[in-house]
Amino acid sequence: MTLDALPNEVFGRVRAIRLATSALGWLRAVGIFEGERVQILRRAVFGGPLHLRTGCGGEFAIDRALASSIEIEVETAP
Amino acid sequence: MSAPASALAKEVRGEEKSSWVVLLVGRPNSGKSSLFNAVTGGDAKVGNFPGVTVDVLEATVDLPAAGRARIVDLPGVYSLLDAPDPNTDEGQARAFIDQAKRKSSDRVIIAQIIDGTQLSLGLRLTKQVLAREARTLLVVTQRDALDKRGYELLPEEIERALGAPVIGVSANAKDVREVMLRALAEVALAEATAKPVIDFDESTVAALSIREKDHDKRSARARRELTDRVDRWLLHPLLGPVAFVAIMSALFAAVFLIADPASAAMDAVMGKLGLVITNTIGDGFWGSLLKDGVLGGAGTVLAFLPQIVILTVAVELIEASGYLARGAFLIDRALQAVGLGGRSFVPLLTAHACAVPAIAATRIIRDPRQRLRTMLVLPLMTCSARIPTYSLLIGTFFAARSPLFRGGVFVFLYFAGIVLGGLASIVIGKVTRQSRGHALPLVLEMPPYRRPRARTMVTVGWRGTKRFVREVGSVILAASIALWVLLRVPGPQGPDTAPDDASPRVVAMHHSVAAWIGHEVEPVTKPLGFDWRINVGLIGSFGARELMVSTMGVIFGIEDTEQDESTLRDNIRMAKNADGKPAYSALTAASLMAFFVIACQCMSTVAALRRETRSWRWPIFVLAYTYVLAYLASLVVYQGGLALGLG
Repeated sequence: MTLDALPNEVFGRVRAIRLATSALGWLRAVGIFEGERVQILRRAVFGGPLHLRTGCGGEFAIDRALASSIEIEVETAP
Repeated sequence: MSAPASALAKEVRGEEKSSWVVLLVGRPNSGKSSLFNAVTGGDAKVGNFPGVTVDVLEATVDLPAAGRARIVDLPGVYSLLDAPDPNTDEGQARAFIDQAKRKSSDRVIIAQIIDGTQLSLGLRLTKQVLAREARTLLVVTQRDALDKRGYELLPEEIERALGAPVIGVSANAKDVREVMLRALAEVALAEATAKPVIDFDESTVAALSIREKDHDKRSARARRELTDRVDRWLLHPLLGPVAFVAIMSALFAAVFLIADPASAAMDAVMGKLGLVITNTIGDGFWGSLLKDGVLGGAGTVLAFLPQIVILTVAVELIEASGYLARGAFLIDRALQAVGLGGRSFVPLLTAHACAVPAIAATRIIRDPRQRLRTMLVLPLMTCSARIPTYSLLIGTFFAARSPLFRGGVFVFLYFAGIVLGGLASIVIGKVTRQSRGHALPLVLEMPPYRRPRARTMVTVGWRGTKRFVREVGSVILAASIALWVLLRVPGPQGPDTAPDDASPRVVAMHHSVAAWIGHEVEPVTKPLGFDWRINVGLIGSFGARELMVSTMGVIFGIEDTEQDESTLRDNIRMAKNADGKPAYSALTAASLMAFFVIACQCMSTVAALRRETRSWRWPIFVLAYTYVLAYLASLVVYQGGLALGLG
């Protein structure tokens, strides 16, 4: 499953990111990286960005096209 | 305070000798600017949005027993290895660090600022900082915020794990400057030490370094829940966009509704002062120079100070509270539709105060094509320099209408600029053959809400006041006096436009050099409803929009031969043509406002475009397209209004 398909409030863990190397390195530095726990808090209307919370405590607005490049596995809520 | 990177590069090369160069490095919104201000007593812009520092800021301090040090506040960086574009703020910061390290690593201290509330995220950058093998100090901020949330920061644990010096601070603490300078001095004076650890697990180190205090867990939860609760409303799929439009409308309306009475009162004070001048000095050369040239020109513009200050503070409030990033989240999709993106929202909003810093703020946009497009439409946003003209025209020609109506006209003009900016972006994309949407997708940090600090708001308001007063006291004052002279020097014979009952002084003004220039332009501007007086104002305001109002102030000050307290608004309303009919109507005002919404009458903006695009092509393009569009818009408004019988 990719991140854009993760339902709101459900926890997932990043398994792989399919991006070009430079963009991948930057995304990892920002705080979205393999093994990180993620949760989508909400989605903007009309296909707008996702409001994402990560295990490190960061919150991000992330483009849906980018989210579709991030593979995740769904976790059950703790 | 601001210094170009090249000047500081001389410093790090040792060409301009000072003891140390301290580079403040950290993730965007990590608290660098707050710390920079606390340590240097400076006034770097502090916001609650990633990417507030777009210039390199620097100040010199004394390190105890270690000599002088230049503290440099760099734009935030997520990575020292991967930056998408060297022209972005992040790319420029990275290039600066590289240059400093390459040229003079033994004189450079890298102070990494880490937000203690997001410790493991900050420690990801620490790995790259420590790998640079420079003198390093890790500064963990937000100690007070952690404390309020029920956590205790243990900087010694980070120091033990990484083998690098670490201090924990609160930017608001009274002793932060002393603590910071002492720690930097220790790093400067330290002998070579063992290499720090760089292959640590940041989550493990973060977990070791923050201890949960069991007495205050409720407070921690409450703070977290507050941001969540507010976001539930402000980012709601349906209510969020409605709230966004409402907040923006309220902001723009407030600028007019709150500040207009204050501006009107200041205008009345100017009228009284004019009477005092006439009564004491008389109506001769010096009296006219003071009353009409100085007070009528620069003084009239100064009356709009309350509106400028309210707008500046309101934009700062939105930024400092953390709502700016939410706005970017809400509007990203709409901006994508016109070829822009969420990150464009920041400069677009900033441009409502002034386009010049907004053009610099486009450096936070990582896609070069999207950045260029944003820069090219920024001059269409309603900057504070348009406010005096809008306020004067609305207050003069819609005085009989309700405050709500006048506020509505004001808000309409703001949204007209925004809508035209969107349309211009689409057209520019087609003309320059750029694709829609953006190549680099949006990733934007959403900071927690923070209560804006009253002191910061006062500082921002004071800074806006100083900037405006300085501009009025220099450029506008000089231009007003120059215009007053041109309105007294006889020019070539032109048409006789003075009313029959005009005084000799008014007749002389109608035959002055300035009037002659205005008359010469009339064939071009007559279809827009403009006469020679407006033409003189338009020519004068080519360099700066505020000069429109000062020009009107000087012209109508000279025309006002009655020794009373009449204001500029009264004088414009009562202005007559040679045939004795009113010179202007609400339709003239609408036509002039349409022109002002679009035309890029600001040489500072043109210079900023030149600097950021490193080309004359784009500034000239902006001047050309905005003036052509402005002319056409005024033509449609005026001729359309006449056709509908509104003249």
